Amino acid sequence: MFLKGAAEVLSASTLVYMLIGSIAGIIAAAIPGFTVTMAIVLTLPLTFTMEPLQGIAVMLSVYVGGYTGGLISAALLGIPGTPSSVATTFDAFPMSRNGEPGRALSIGVWASFFGTMISTAVLVVAAPPLAIFAVKLGPWEYFSLIVFALSIVASLVGNSLQRGLIAALIGLAISTIGTDPILGRPRFDFNLEVLAAGLPFLVVLIGIFAISQLASEVEDAVAIRKGEKLASGDIDFKTWQVMREVIARPVNLIRSSVVGVLIGALPGAGGSIANLVAYDQAKRASKTPDQFGKGITDGVVASESGNSATAGGGLIPLIALGIPGSAVDAILMASLMVHGISVGPRLIMDNADLVYGMFIAMAVSSLMMLVVCIFSMRTFLRVAEVPKWVIVPIVLVCCVVGAFALNNRVTDLYLLGAVGLLGYALRALDYPLAPLVLGVILGPIAETNLRRALMTDGDWTLFVTRPVSLVFLLAGIASVAWAIRNHRKRKAGNTNEKEPLR
Amino acid sequence: MNSRVSDETGKESGEIARLISYVVLIATSGGLFWEAMTIPTSRFEVLGAGAFPALVYGCLILLLASAIATSVRRIPASAYARFAEDFQTWIKTRRLVFVLFVCLGLYLAVMPVIGYPIATFVFLVVLQFWFAPKTRSAAVTVLILAIVFSVGLNWLFDEVFNVFLPRGS
Repeated sequence: MFLKGAAEVLSASTLVYMLIGSIAGIIAAAIPGFTVTMAIVLTLPLTFTMEPLQGIAVMLSVYVGGYTGGLISAALLGIPGTPSSVATTFDAFPMSRNGEPGRALSIGVWASFFGTMISTAVLVVAAPPLAIFAVKLGPWEYFSLIVFALSIVASLVGNSLQRGLIAALIGLAISTIGTDPILGRPRFDFNLEVLAAGLPFLVVLIGIFAISQLASEVEDAVAIRKGEKLASGDIDFKTWQVMREVIARPVNLIRSSVVGVLIGALPGAGGSIANLVAYDQAKRASKTPDQFGKGITDGVVASESGNSATAGGGLIPLIALGIPGSAVDAILMASLMVHGISVGPRLIMDNADLVYGMFIAMAVSSLMMLVVCIFSMRTFLRVAEVPKWVIVPIVLVCCVVGAFALNNRVTDLYLLGAVGLLGYALRALDYPLAPLVLGVILGPIAETNLRRALMTDGDWTLFVTRPVSLVFLLAGIASVAWAIRNHRKRKAGNTNEKEPLR
Repeated sequence: MNSRVSDETGKESGEIARLISYVVLIATSGGLFWEAMTIPTSRFEVLGAGAFPALVYGCLILLLASAIATSVRRIPASAYARFAEDFQTWIKTRRLVFVLFVCLGLYLAVMPVIGYPIATFVFLVVLQFWFAPKTRSAAVTVLILAIVFSVGLNWLFDEVFNVFLPRGS
């Protein structure tokens, strides 16, 4: 069965299709506003005429390539190409600005590669038990998990804990605009069509991160008219040296990948949360947490291995139980069903060759992504050499097209402009933007599970009497306490007792 | 980061700007908290549609009140007098940012009317000419890029992806 699956994936035609898929995934995700989901949706009809495993292998190559592609704009432009590369901007972008764009990209690519390989290994070994554990979690555990994920805010706050928390709450508040997720009641739309459907997460992400970053790039009028480039310095990099640098961090790599697999295995969570949790854990475990956010290797490794590992994690409930963990997994499931394959707990038993083929396709996709990135990286790095007066307006157009293509809604364009302006104002006022985005991601999941839990049973004590829920809540409390302690220690270490006025 | 208010307008003016943002946010949060409390609850659930937003806005109000108190305590009285002047300087040094937002606003507003290709072509030509060095090669680059990303991108989405960008009314 294994050999049959391997033979089909490793056939020349499948490998060529996978190579094209890998390139398409990387390019799609590298453009701000375009997501892995969009690339997969556009690929789906092209696979209808292929054999089932061939079609799935091509889609997996787009999937794996897409998780890495987000790194390119995150590192070179400071704009997360996809929601799963938000944390990559924290260190890869400063590294690029410090004159090492090649190294920043290279570290991210290698971390992505190892993250995907580790998640594939976990997928092969632990798919059934992990899937059974994941689906046993009720709304109480999910809510507590989100509380734990929200506690990350405490370590992403930047200069001021107060402003970080305010930003996170603004994110949560933004997520409540539009239709209520349980009963469909309209909220805070003020009878405006533009607000009726709520604020799509991707539009908020593009507006907050991309538009505000692009606006801040043109602050210096003299420099931009002189043809200032995005990054200066050596765009060259030494692939094998960087690989050794990444491998020299086995604990970070494995921890971040395991975080990615576990979060990816939870239906409804995914790469957008995994990269932030992995980054947060790496920062906490580091002996030099103050260096995070200034262009440290560990930050890039954690974020990229964490988000790439969710690709394998997301397949766990899909393969073991037929439950898609994310939109992308749902499209993969649809692709199998189009080919007449019944997805469910019997998938491994009835179609072992297909499942083994998927495992091999994951590993091959990862390898293909690595090869494509290594050979094309110099081309991507040329982006850093393009003058700002060229790149800023063009990326703005890409953001607008991406925001529109998401739902084909003109009102999303108006929201994009408004959110972009808000993002720039918050950036100028020194509010950290990452907690805000985290609030927008986690808000709907938190509200849905809190209300669902209390609809199932009105007893509030279940949140602390169910063991897994209690563990998540205690982890959240410990996480906040640790971050506050560190924040105070840092302030106490300052010569100024008070937080400096900025 | 050089975009921070603090870099050019002074630390105290930056804190005053933040104080103003806290006041605007607390007023907005107060209004939305009130709105959340008026959302009717359902007999099918313990929490209504307004409970979670009310919780969020309640926490936000408390945090903002504390932030306002901290800011007011830290800003010296003399700083308020300099704020208007510092703010004007800050606006002047970032004039290109305002050009960018005005162009973006107009672009997004007219796109549904005149369609993606024309709106994008005009947007790219205007913005890039505004930012670019005044040379012949820059002008040629601007025109080529504007055509590629307006007509070319529209064709790509239309013919290859079957995603139709706004065509105009």
